Amino acid sequence: MSASLAPECNGVKERYDSCFLKWYSEKFLRGNATTDECEPLFKQYKQCLGKALKSRGIDTMLEEAREDNRENDAQHLRGGCESLVHPAIPRESCVRILTII
Amino acid sequence: MKVFATSTDFDYSWEEVSTSNWRKYGPWNEKTPHVIAVDTLSRTIDPDTGILRTERLITCKQTAPKWVNTLLGSKDTSHAYETSYVDPKAKKVTICSMNMTYSDLLSVRETVVYRPASSNPSARTTMEQNAKITAFCGGWQKIKNSIEQFTVERFQQNAAKGREGFEMVLEMSRKVFAEQRELRILQEAKTALAP
Repeated sequence: MSASLAPECNGVKERYDSCFLKWYSEKFLRGNATTDECEPLFKQYKQCLGKALKSRGIDTMLEEAREDNRENDAQHLRGGCESLVHPAIPRESCVRILTII
Repeated sequence: MKVFATSTDFDYSWEEVSTSNWRKYGPWNEKTPHVIAVDTLSRTIDPDTGILRTERLITCKQTAPKWVNTLLGSKDTSHAYETSYVDPKAKKVTICSMNMTYSDLLSVRETVVYRPASSNPSARTTMEQNAKITAFCGGWQKIKNSIEQFTVERFQQNAAKGREGFEMVLEMSRKVFAEQRELRILQEAKTALAP
């Protein structure tokens, strides 16, 4: 399984990933996903990761990405996936490019 | 804006592909060393549709040419945000990703869909990959074009490596699964024979 961006979370991440993979292949794909027995492990992993995301400032970047992703949720949790249109071009970025050049 | 679209079949069932997809960037994949971390942020099952929704954060480390660094600012570590939707009844996996780094200058949006192949639905899986790359900056067409061109080329290279690496993961998964099954049968036989 892949590593975590926070090395201190690798141990609990590995335990959670293995638990999830077993649940996914043996229960979820077979239509027997009534309970999620990996939830306690996921809670531990999320707690560890949450701290790392905050200290690296990634949490605020994630908020923006989540905002942009709303249309995907609307489409895929209900079907269809066409519009990948980005909102209007931010003025600041153009100014930044022009200043660099 | 640049568009990239490709479609490939894998000689594995949809169940195998959708399971192996979770370990696509693990140690069995030797082709994508630029993906250094994959973290799961949230996971829920939609109560109405039964679709499993997962949010992940992908961390990459890849160097860019100097002119790109001059334009975009040099950052060797970048992040992508991925949401995936697994519909076990329809046998469909949809994975949507977007760049988080440089997102004020460039938008890279990718959608990958895995479905049973129409030619052999029980043993083959079709992957459709679409990406849209847009650099922002009204008026400066030439700069926009070169940033987009570089990104689409890098994207194509990474997509090819990703496919090759995924084949390795699929092969290993099948091997390990078969080994585990053999072991289980052996153990069961041993228990049955024990006095």
